[in-house]
Amino acid sequence: MHLVRDRAHQFGVRGIDPQALSFDLRAAVGRKDEIVGGIISGIKSGLAKTAAITYINGRAAFLSPREIRVGKQTITADKTIMAVGSRVAKAQIPGLEDAGYLTNNEALKLHQVPASMVIIGAGYVGVEFAQMYARFGTRVTLVSRSARVMRNEEPELREALGHLLVQEGINLLTDTAVTAAGQADGQRYVEVKPATGKVQRLEAEQILLAAGRTARIEDLGLEQAGVALQNGFIQANGQLQTTAPNIWSLGDANGGQMVTHRAIYDGVTSALNAVLDKGRTVDYRVVPRAVFTEPALASVGLTQAEAEARGASVSIGTYAFSGSGRGKAMGATEGLVKIVADDKTGEILGGHILGAHADMLIHELVVAMQQRATARDLGKTIHIHPTLNEIVQSAAKAVK
Amino acid sequence: MSTQHFDIAIIGAGQGGLPAAHLAARLGARVALIEMHQVGGT
Repeated sequence: MHLVRDRAHQFGVRGIDPQALSFDLRAAVGRKDEIVGGIISGIKSGLAKTAAITYINGRAAFLSPREIRVGKQTITADKTIMAVGSRVAKAQIPGLEDAGYLTNNEALKLHQVPASMVIIGAGYVGVEFAQMYARFGTRVTLVSRSARVMRNEEPELREALGHLLVQEGINLLTDTAVTAAGQADGQRYVEVKPATGKVQRLEAEQILLAAGRTARIEDLGLEQAGVALQNGFIQANGQLQTTAPNIWSLGDANGGQMVTHRAIYDGVTSALNAVLDKGRTVDYRVVPRAVFTEPALASVGLTQAEAEARGASVSIGTYAFSGSGRGKAMGATEGLVKIVADDKTGEILGGHILGAHADMLIHELVVAMQQRATARDLGKTIHIHPTLNEIVQSAAKAVK
Repeated sequence: MSTQHFDIAIIGAGQGGLPAAHLAARLGARVALIEMHQVGGT
């Protein structure tokens, strides 16, 4: 609510009484449910109109590579595509199961804003919910095992995002392990141990577990099907075929980048390969990702460290949102764009954005990378003035 | 007990299973789409 007041004040709006503002989580969740409900009914009517698809509600288990039991019935299928997805991985934290915790699913269904929340894990789920609940008014502690939030992203963007979260009042504990959880006197608690320091106990009305996901493969009868696992995920080759020649697998359950748009992409590839025997190989060179914080963090391709680890000699171009006129007008001066390019060819190897609308801005870098464009190609492309996209163009021009 | 036969079974009607099911159907396959919770995924 402070955000509403501060923003309004900056933009010259007067007369908003911060004391009079309140937030109705139940109403917000109701609105979300309505939107999701609309999407689901659209999906259902699409399925109902498609005669060739028989929808069966129930839990599937392979009896053999060609037989699947669903509830009381057994179906046979020449080929199967597994699209089983992922779930939150159980954490090896003593007392956590008994204390009770939320996952991202339940955290979108609360009707009352908790007074306090400890979030275990500072990946995309952790940081998104930390900011959201902090803005709702919850006292949020975000516990990160590493030195910064958002492992695998560019260090300077991780550092900047961490600072922004701290500025919003989030208690960010880095290099900290969660050692135990429990309930005492009707109050949940989490015990944490910083890398250098003593164990401390944090009281929390709610605990949100956001420390990784695992393939949802329980009770699927994978052994009967002949589908093998690799590091807990379904083993699939480049054509998404499993170790059973008539069974394909897609998306989160195969490990790698667990993002919806990758599952959609895999869905098309697996259907072409299963139905038409196309033998099409997935290409994950250009899979963008975004963290929907405000400002957002979005990236595609390699970080500087990843490119260098692969032996590339790289050139870097950066540009800050604070240098953008449009950014200033919007009050969106936080963040930066960083472009990683091959030093010899100029080809863009990675793009990284922290800033307003990063999730949208990233797409010009996605298209550039898909077409193997150089930073120079992007830099000399005419961009509309005044837009935030000019920041991407400026970063491309800054690549030496 | 009844046994129905399909060209393709798809386990999971989330964001990956749905496009796979629709494309398989468009390509001429008889598809069973199996989901234990809700279509659309989480």
